[in-house]
Amino acid sequence: MDTAKDTSARRPVKLLIVDDSNIVRRRIERSQQFDDLEVVGTAANGIEALELARKTDPDLVTMDLTMPQMDGIECITQLVKLKPEVRILVISALSDKATAVEAMERGANGFLDKPFTDRQLNEAIAELMY
Amino acid sequence: MLLSGVDRNRRLLTAAAGFLLAAVMGLVLIIGFRLATQIRGNVGTLQRASELETYPSVVSQQLTALRERLDTLEYTGHVHAELAASVHGFDRDFAALEREHDLDPSAMHAATALWHSYTPVLTPVLAYHGEPYSDTATNSSLSRSGRVFYAHVRRAELFAQANAAALHRQLAAVSASLQARTAAAASRLRWLLSGGVLAVLLLGLAAAYLQLARARGERAAREAQEQTRDILATVREGFFLLDADYRIGAVWSKALTHMFGRENFAGLSFEELLRDRVSPETLATATKFIKLLWGERAHENLMKSINPLGQLEVSMDNGRGGKETRYLQFDFHRVTGPKGVKHVLCAVGDITSSVLLSRELHEAQENAHSQLDMMVSMLHSDPLQIGTFLDSAAAGLKHINAILKEPARSHGEFSKKLAGLARELHAMKGEASALNLMSIAQRVHHLEDMVAELKGRSELTGNDFLPIVLKLDELLAHLRGVREMTLRLTALRDNSPSPEATLSTPALRIGSSGPEELAATLQSLARKLAQDHGKDFSLTVNGLADCPRSYLPTVKDCLIQMLRNSAVHGIEPDEVRRAGAKSAGGQVRVDFRRAGSGYELLFEDDGAGLSPETLKEAAVRKNIITAEQAAQLDNRAALALIFKPGFSTRAEVSMDAGRGTGMDVVAKAVYGLGGKIGVSTNPGRFTRFKIALPAASESAVA
Amino acid sequence: MLREEELKTFVDGTTRYFEVAAQQPATIGSPYLLEGEPAMHDYTGMINITGKREGVVYFTAPRAMLTVLLMKMQESDFSHESMRDLVGEVANTISGNARRDFGHDFVISVPSVFAGEKPQISQPAGARAFVIPIHWRSHSAKLVVSLT
Repeated sequence: MDTAKDTSARRPVKLLIVDDSNIVRRRIERSQQFDDLEVVGTAANGIEALELARKTDPDLVTMDLTMPQMDGIECITQLVKLKPEVRILVISALSDKATAVEAMERGANGFLDKPFTDRQLNEAIAELMY
Repeated sequence: MLLSGVDRNRRLLTAAAGFLLAAVMGLVLIIGFRLATQIRGNVGTLQRASELETYPSVVSQQLTALRERLDTLEYTGHVHAELAASVHGFDRDFAALEREHDLDPSAMHAATALWHSYTPVLTPVLAYHGEPYSDTATNSSLSRSGRVFYAHVRRAELFAQANAAALHRQLAAVSASLQARTAAAASRLRWLLSGGVLAVLLLGLAAAYLQLARARGERAAREAQEQTRDILATVREGFFLLDADYRIGAVWSKALTHMFGRENFAGLSFEELLRDRVSPETLATATKFIKLLWGERAHENLMKSINPLGQLEVSMDNGRGGKETRYLQFDFHRVTGPKGVKHVLCAVGDITSSVLLSRELHEAQENAHSQLDMMVSMLHSDPLQIGTFLDSAAAGLKHINAILKEPARSHGEFSKKLAGLARELHAMKGEASALNLMSIAQRVHHLEDMVAELKGRSELTGNDFLPIVLKLDELLAHLRGVREMTLRLTALRDNSPSPEATLSTPALRIGSSGPEELAATLQSLARKLAQDHGKDFSLTVNGLADCPRSYLPTVKDCLIQMLRNSAVHGIEPDEVRRAGAKSAGGQVRVDFRRAGSGYELLFEDDGAGLSPETLKEAAVRKNIITAEQAAQLDNRAALALIFKPGFSTRAEVSMDAGRGTGMDVVAKAVYGLGGKIGVSTNPGRFTRFKIALPAASESAVA
Repeated sequence: MLREEELKTFVDGTTRYFEVAAQQPATIGSPYLLEGEPAMHDYTGMINITGKREGVVYFTAPRAMLTVLLMKMQESDFSHESMRDLVGEVANTISGNARRDFGHDFVISVPSVFAGEKPQISQPAGARAFVIPIHWRSHSAKLVVSLT
C-alpha cells in the first residue's frame, strides 16, 4: 500500500474511533494500514467520544453520525470547540445529503460513505493526515 | 485573457532598454562634447606652444643681428624694437601657456625657469634708450652708452645662443606632452564614440529582440486564447467558475447552453441556474456544500460522496424537437491562488449512459437475486403446488386482461375496473405468498399499489392504465420464467435416481392438485403468517378430502384469505391473550363436510372477534356507508360490512392484509359457485365463518 | 421490454395527429394485452422497428372513422386511396415522434399500408402486443404496439 509512506521520523498519529457499532469499530481498527497510526480509543456515542478526546488528545477522529445519546453532528460541534486542530473524518451511511453537508459545516474535514473498502479508508486517512 | 507574467516582464525589459539607450546616448554626448572642447583647446595651445618653440632661436637671431649691427655701426632701432616685440610676445604667449592645464608640469616648470633666467640678461638690453653711436664727421664709433649696450647685447647673445636649444627642447617637450594628451583625448573620444555606437547598436538589437519576442508572445497569447475558446466550445462538459457570491464568471463552456437552454451565463447566480431544476432543499444543501470549499477545513477529495448534485435528473431537448430525461453530474473543485481560494470550478457532465447502465446492472442483479430466491423457495415447495398456482395465476391474469379489455371511455367505466383488478390481484398475492413465491408476490403487490393509487383519483383516463398494462406484461413474463424453471426442476427431480421420490408423489396431474396439497399449503402459509406477524397459533384442518375437485380452487382462495385475516386481525398478540386469560397459542380450525345435498365449510379462530361498532366506524371512514346509515345498522348488518368491497379495518397496508380486499373476494367466489356465506362472532372469544356450497355438478367434478 | 415512456410516445403521436389534423384530440381507452390474432379494422398503417429494439407498431381504423376524419380535415375525396393515405399519415406521425424521442435506438421503416387484405405482421418473438383503443368522436380505432 503506497499510502503508508515512510513516516518513521514522525510522532505517531493518534486515532479515536467513534461508532455505535462494534463491528464497524473493529473494522476500522483492523483495516487501517499505517505503521505510525495508533488507535488511542473507541467510543460508542458522542459523550464517550468527548471524554476520550479530552483524555487521549487524538489527531484524527473517525465519526459516525447516527448514534444514541449524543449524535455525530453535536459531537463534531463540541469536538471542534474543544480541539480546533483535530481532523474529523465522518464515516456514515447517511443518504441524506443535507445532514452530511451539515456535518462538514460544523467542522468535519471529510466524509466517507458506508460501506467502504479498506482502500477507501486508507486513502481518506492518508489524505487527512499525511 | 490572462496577461501572463512573461508578457509583463517583456514590457518592462523593453522600457528598460529604451531608457538605457537614452542614458548612454546622453552620456556619450556629454563626455564627447567635453572631450571635443578639450581637444579644440589643446589644438590652440599646441599652436601657441609650437609658436613659442620658434622664439628662442628668433630671440637668439635677433640678438645676433643686433650685435652685428652694433659691430657695423648700423642702425639698430628697428631690430631693437623687433626684439622687444618678440620678448613681449614670448612673455605673453608663455603666460597664456602657463594658464593651460593640460601641460606636462615638469617640462613646463623647466621651461618657465629657463625663460625666467633670460630675464636678467634681456632686461638691460631691452631697457636701453639712447644713441649707441657717437658720430663725428668722418668716423662713427660706439658711444659710451653704446659700449655698455653692446656688452649687454653680447652677453644676452651668448646667453641666448647657449640656452636657445635647451629652451627649445623644453618647449618642445611641453608641446609633445600636450600633443600626447590631445592624442589621448582624441583616442578617448574615438573609443567613446565607438563604445557609444556599439552600446546603441547592442541596445537597439536588444530592443528589437524584445519587441520581436513581445510580438511573438502576443501571438502565442492570442493563439492560446483561441485554443482556450476552441476547447470551451468543443468540450462536452459544462465548465464555469463560481465566485464567492455564487456567481458565474465571464467564461464558460458551450456545453452549458445545451444543458441549461440559455446562451449567456455571465454573472448568473448559481441559484438562478438551477432554480427550476432542483428542489429548494437540494439547492440550499448544494449552496452550503459549495461554501465548504471556500473554507479551509473540508478536504475536496473527501466530500465527493456528499455532493447533493452528484446525480441530477433533468429534462433536456434531444435535438429532434422532443424532450428526454438526462442525468447531470456537478463536480466542484477549488481554484486556489496565492491568497487562498479564488474560485470554485464547476464541471457539469452528462452521466446518463452510466446511470442507465448501472441501473440496468442493478436490475439484472436484482433479477438474479429474485430468481435465486425463487429457485430456493421452489426447491422447498411441491412443484405440483406451484403448477397449480401458475395455472390459477394465468387464469387470474387472463381475467384481469378481460377486465381491462372492457371498453371504457368515461371515468365511471374506468373506475369500475379497479375493484375487479384489486380483487384478482389480492387473491393472486395471497396464493403467491402462501407458496413463499416472494418475487411474484412483490410484483403483484406493486401492481396492487398502482391500482390502489388510481382508486384515489377523481379523474381516470386510459393513460392512467398504461403503466398497469405494462406491469401486467412484466408479471406475465416473470410467471413464464417461473414456469420454465418449474419444468426444469421437475425434470431434474424426475431424473433423480430415487424411485421413491416419484412414487411418494400422490398425484402426477400437471396443473392441478388435490386436497392433501391444499392442507399442506395452508399449514405452510399458517407458519409463515405466524412468523411474519409475530403471532402464535396453530391450524387444524379436517375433511378437505371430501371437497370436490371443482370446488378446490375456490375453497383454497377462501381459506387463504380467511387465514390471512385471522393472522393479521383475529389472533391477538401473546400479551393480549395472556391478559384476557386465554391459552397462549391461538387456534384456527378448518372443517369441511357434506351437509345435506351440498357441503359446508367452517372456518373459526379463537381471536379477538369482530366488534360491530369498530366495523361501522371503519365503514364510515372508508365512505362505504354514511354515519346516518351506520347508526341504522343492527349488529348482524354491521358484521355483513366485512363482505363489502373496499372494506378494511387496518390502517397501514402490508403484504398480508389491510388493502380493503379480502373477504369480498371470498364472498364473491362463494356466490360464484352458487353458495352462501355467513359470519358470527363473540367479541374477545371467536370469529366463525360458515360457507354453504351446493352439490357439485358432474362435469365440474371431472 | 417496452418502457412506459416509449408506449406514451406512440400513444401521444396518435392522439396528437387527431388534434392537429382535425382540431379535436382523440382519447385513449382502456389498454390491454393482445391475446390471439390481432383484430384489424378496414385500414391499417404500420411501421416496423429494427435496430437495438425490434417490433411493430400499427394503427388500424374503420372506414367510418376515417371518413369523418377526412371530412373534418376539409377533404372532399373519400376514395380508397385517400383512406390509405390517411392511415399512412398517422403511422408516419407515430414514426416521427418515435424518431424524435428515441433517435438512434430505433431504426424505423417507411410506413406500409393495408386495406382489407390481411397484413403481414411480423411480431417479434417473446414480445407481447399492447392494444390501446383510440376513441375519437363516436368511433374507435386501435393502436397496437409490440416491441422487444
